[in-house]
Amino acid sequence: MQLMAASCALLGAGAARSQETHMAPPDSGLLEDWSVDSALAYYHEDGRIQAIEPVVDVAKIFADGEALNFNVTFDALSGASPNGALTSRAAQTFSSPSGKLQHRYTTAPGQLPADSNYHDDRIAVGGTWSVPFTRVDQVSVGGKVSAEDDFLSATVNASIAHDFNEKNTTLSFGIDDEFDSIHPIGGAPVAASDYESAEKQTGSKTKDGVGVLLGVTQVMTRTWLSEFNISIDRFHGYLNDPYKFTSIINSAGGTTGYEYESRPDQRTRKSAYSENRVAWSSQISTALSLRYMSDDWGVRSDTAQLHLRWTLSNRDRYIEPTIRWYRQTAADFYTPFILSTEKPAGGYESADSRLGAFHALTYGVKYAQKLPGLGGRPESEINIRAEYYQQTFDERAPVPPGLQGLDLYPGLKAVLVQIGWRF
Amino acid sequence: MSGRFRLLFAMLAVALIAGCGSLGVKPWQRDVLAREEMQLDSEPLDAAIDDHLYFSKEASSGGRSFAGGGCGCN
Amino acid sequence: MRMRCILTGIFLSVSVHAASTLDLASFHGRVVYLDFWASWCGPCKQSFPWMETMKSTYQAQGLEIVAVNVDADRADADKFLKRFHPTFGVRFDPKGELAELYKVQAMPSSVLIDRHGAARFMHAGFRPVDGPIYEAQLRELLAEK
Repeated sequence: MQLMAASCALLGAGAARSQETHMAPPDSGLLEDWSVDSALAYYHEDGRIQAIEPVVDVAKIFADGEALNFNVTFDALSGASPNGALTSRAAQTFSSPSGKLQHRYTTAPGQLPADSNYHDDRIAVGGTWSVPFTRVDQVSVGGKVSAEDDFLSATVNASIAHDFNEKNTTLSFGIDDEFDSIHPIGGAPVAASDYESAEKQTGSKTKDGVGVLLGVTQVMTRTWLSEFNISIDRFHGYLNDPYKFTSIINSAGGTTGYEYESRPDQRTRKSAYSENRVAWSSQISTALSLRYMSDDWGVRSDTAQLHLRWTLSNRDRYIEPTIRWYRQTAADFYTPFILSTEKPAGGYESADSRLGAFHALTYGVKYAQKLPGLGGRPESEINIRAEYYQQTFDERAPVPPGLQGLDLYPGLKAVLVQIGWRF
Repeated sequence: MSGRFRLLFAMLAVALIAGCGSLGVKPWQRDVLAREEMQLDSEPLDAAIDDHLYFSKEASSGGRSFAGGGCGCN
Repeated sequence: MRMRCILTGIFLSVSVHAASTLDLASFHGRVVYLDFWASWCGPCKQSFPWMETMKSTYQAQGLEIVAVNVDADRADADKFLKRFHPTFGVRFDPKGELAELYKVQAMPSSVLIDRHGAARFMHAGFRPVDGPIYEAQLRELLAEK
């Protein structure tokens, strides 16, 4: 199971582009009210997961300003996915629930345990409909359904935006509800149960999440646009990763066993987001976004991303480097290993690196070129971008006795390459 | 509510009050704001792919929205 | 959405800086469709063909179309005009003085002025579905003496 939730719902709210906010990106002809945006992304982690993801998004603007948007995403993942166990001086053998058959895999000494047979395909379909029901109000409703081998998700969202102050100020409010059903391959393990005894439960597990977002967008000057949002979401239900477990380590640093993880059945997250776009000249513009997030699992994060767009001659192409800095603290119950002498009696625990303390840096660049329309058709755009993402674990992460010198927290290095076509 | 969020709420309130003031431009002065690079949703697929990627590797996700700005037409 | 606005200036004469003069007196006896447009305004790409159709249909009955451009950069306006090559009159208001005078609320905006020079209807925005509504108002004004 690759994801816990595809909470892009709030991202999608209001994404149907009506005439109100933004005409189809390339310079559309008068009657060409259809626009298509497509991309093919390839993602590769050093020594681990790789993914191919084609996406197609089709939008139509109607004569009265209503807009409809429909998108399909397909995702094929394969490679080695860390299972939560700690690197050891001895070889480790695990049985993976991958596919329908039990599959055993061995991790060499000094290597991060990862299930190399990991494989997952996902398809997601979504849509949004926007209506400008007054000159200054727009309502959008949307939905998304996503399916994987072991995971089904359905989200509905709605948002309203109101312009005032001669459309210099826009207030928006969005709400979304997500329902997920997880049917782990091999059954869901009993939380915190012993890995070897493999106590599995039959049936599927579910979780539900609701999110709200309140935002204000303000035109500051002729060349500066500012946005500020606050959002809160709450998930309830089965929030564990059924395939992850935690190593139990003895006083010599040897692994004596594993325990499936156990997370709370509720998680509330609050975030504040701001974005500022400034046009410095007819060629140079920047977009700077900042986000602060905090949840009741003890995770706090800061994100800062800067895009700098350099539009070249005649405005028919641009180059856009970007840099993103991210840092998060560990969840209260994040524990990369459990000392056998200190095994917690009950309580929550997870060794999932996504809940650990780390910082990450992304460097990227994008190039886009407009192509003239052929035979009366409007122009289109082709683009390519590449990004390098590196996650570095907090050096203060604990090292159990006997395991000094091992790279217990290797972090992550990944590359994304994407080509796109909009017409 | 924690201190940081109280501060952020105050910022939102200030932003709202500021919005009722004289910040902004006339409807016929939105040429720069109409440019593609000034739209909050200028690259929706990139944003979706990035969000999906960061969601699967980090503990945070979302927070954005796209209303407002632009040419302000109609 | 429409905003009905009755301005009482009868012979409105406005000077547009460094360009032409918008002297409504010269249009006395004709119905004027005064349109504010810009090269960066998406809906203007739909209003221009519609205005062209209105001109060819109703010019003989006394319709005059005056399209006022508010681009700060004349080159942008010229590019747009080259693409749509309108046959109706175009004026340039780069500093937005005329737009300010008419209190333009959105782009595009149009003012429908009757044969006596009184502004009778004002519209903010243009969507294809608005065309027939504006046309009906033009016919109403053209029918007056």
